[in-house]
Amino acid sequence: MIPRIRKKHDYKAGLLVVLIFVSILFSGCSQNNQTELECDLQCSISISCSTALEHAEQLPDGVLQMLPEDGWILEQTTVPMQEGDSAFDVLLRTVQAYDIHMEYADTPVYDSAYIEGIANLYEFDAGGLSGWMYSVNGEFPNYGCSAYTVSEGDVICWVYTCNLGDDVRGKTV
Amino acid sequence: MNRDVFSSYHPLVNLCYFSLVLVCTMCCWHPVILLISFCSAAAYAMQLNDAKKMKQQVLLLLPVMLMAAVLNPMFNHKGATMLTYLPGGNPLTLESLLYGLAAAVMLAAVMLWFSCYTAVMTSDKFIYLFGRIIPALSLVLSMILRFIPRCLVQLAAIGEAQSCIGRGVHSGTVWQRVRCAVQMVSILVTWAMEQAIETADSMRSRGYGLPGRTAFSIYRFDKRDKLVLLWLAGCAAVILAGWRCSALAWSYYPLMQGSLLTPLTMIVQVIYLALCMTPVILNRREARLWMRSQSSR
Repeated sequence: MIPRIRKKHDYKAGLLVVLIFVSILFSGCSQNNQTELECDLQCSISISCSTALEHAEQLPDGVLQMLPEDGWILEQTTVPMQEGDSAFDVLLRTVQAYDIHMEYADTPVYDSAYIEGIANLYEFDAGGLSGWMYSVNGEFPNYGCSAYTVSEGDVICWVYTCNLGDDVRGKTV
Repeated sequence: MNRDVFSSYHPLVNLCYFSLVLVCTMCCWHPVILLISFCSAAAYAMQLNDAKKMKQQVLLLLPVMLMAAVLNPMFNHKGATMLTYLPGGNPLTLESLLYGLAAAVMLAAVMLWFSCYTAVMTSDKFIYLFGRIIPALSLVLSMILRFIPRCLVQLAAIGEAQSCIGRGVHSGTVWQRVRCAVQMVSILVTWAMEQAIETADSMRSRGYGLPGRTAFSIYRFDKRDKLVLLWLAGCAAVILAGWRCSALAWSYYPLMQGSLLTPLTMIVQVIYLALCMTPVILNRREARLWMRSQSSR
């Protein structure tokens, strides 16, 4: 008698948990992320993975075929922006507009988003020193992309480094 | 309820079968292999357990499976096929959904296999196999594994006895119920301790651990066991060879790809299906033999 009644409770609790998860999932699906921009400022952005192509043999299976042959995931493109946009806001809006895959993690300690992977090319895919970096007007800011406020006409370059930035810092992209 | 024929085979055969099947299920992420594993585990569990126990298992499995299938796409955003965006801005990908599904099937299959394992590999079989190699550990293991179901049975008995004298956990105010529950746990702990002392006394009086003492066992390794063991070894060899030739290779990220319909893969899959269904087939064959002998008498 006792086990039967206890099981009933377990079952209800399980059902509730499942319902909550499903509702979270579907509420996420219905949300529209493309917001209308209020003013028509512009900046330019590009995404390049050419250094990863030089280390093609280190990439995990299947990653290389996802990358473009010339290394440009997104060639330099002029995109609209808002007053006060961070480099991360511009990137997020751009990848969603151009249907490019991108995953980031919010790190509350640094108060910034960290870009884990673009176009299924992830950090550490080309060795332990690899990952995504960004430069604005040729300079690499030494802080997170959510903390950098973009001004009108800035040229943002997202580049993949295989060597903690040494292989991309000298280049003008 | 039907008697399980596979349980009557030599413990070594049982152990080899379960370790082979479990290792394959846990190490191989090929979707067809996972499905085969899941279906055969369910088929065997249905032969071993009655409907009521099966229902309990399904009620336990379903939330676990759903959780695994839903949680993965929420936290894993790899994959080339983007379906939509989650509220944070990370994509929901088809590949992460399918990977979550595969993880759910694997979890369920492993849980079902272990439920079959506990039904077939009783503690005396375990002791028989490992008593010589690791005497202390195998004794402790079998005692622990036996302890939990025994505790549950005893707890149910205590609960019924307590509700008979009006101290059940299903009546009275919340405070009274909590008091009764604590009382029940206290009785259970007392019982467990007394049981441990009695077991120790009993073991000592029977001379446990004295040199030159042998254990009684009724297991015989005969021709039937040899045949099945050879069959298991053959299956293992085929699967190992298939794995070395990457016939079972499958990757979920960033694009789903792997061998599905190549001849080698098909052969390994058929062999794996036959391996997984071995106990079920043996049971069927035995039942048919029994029917025939009954009808011809």
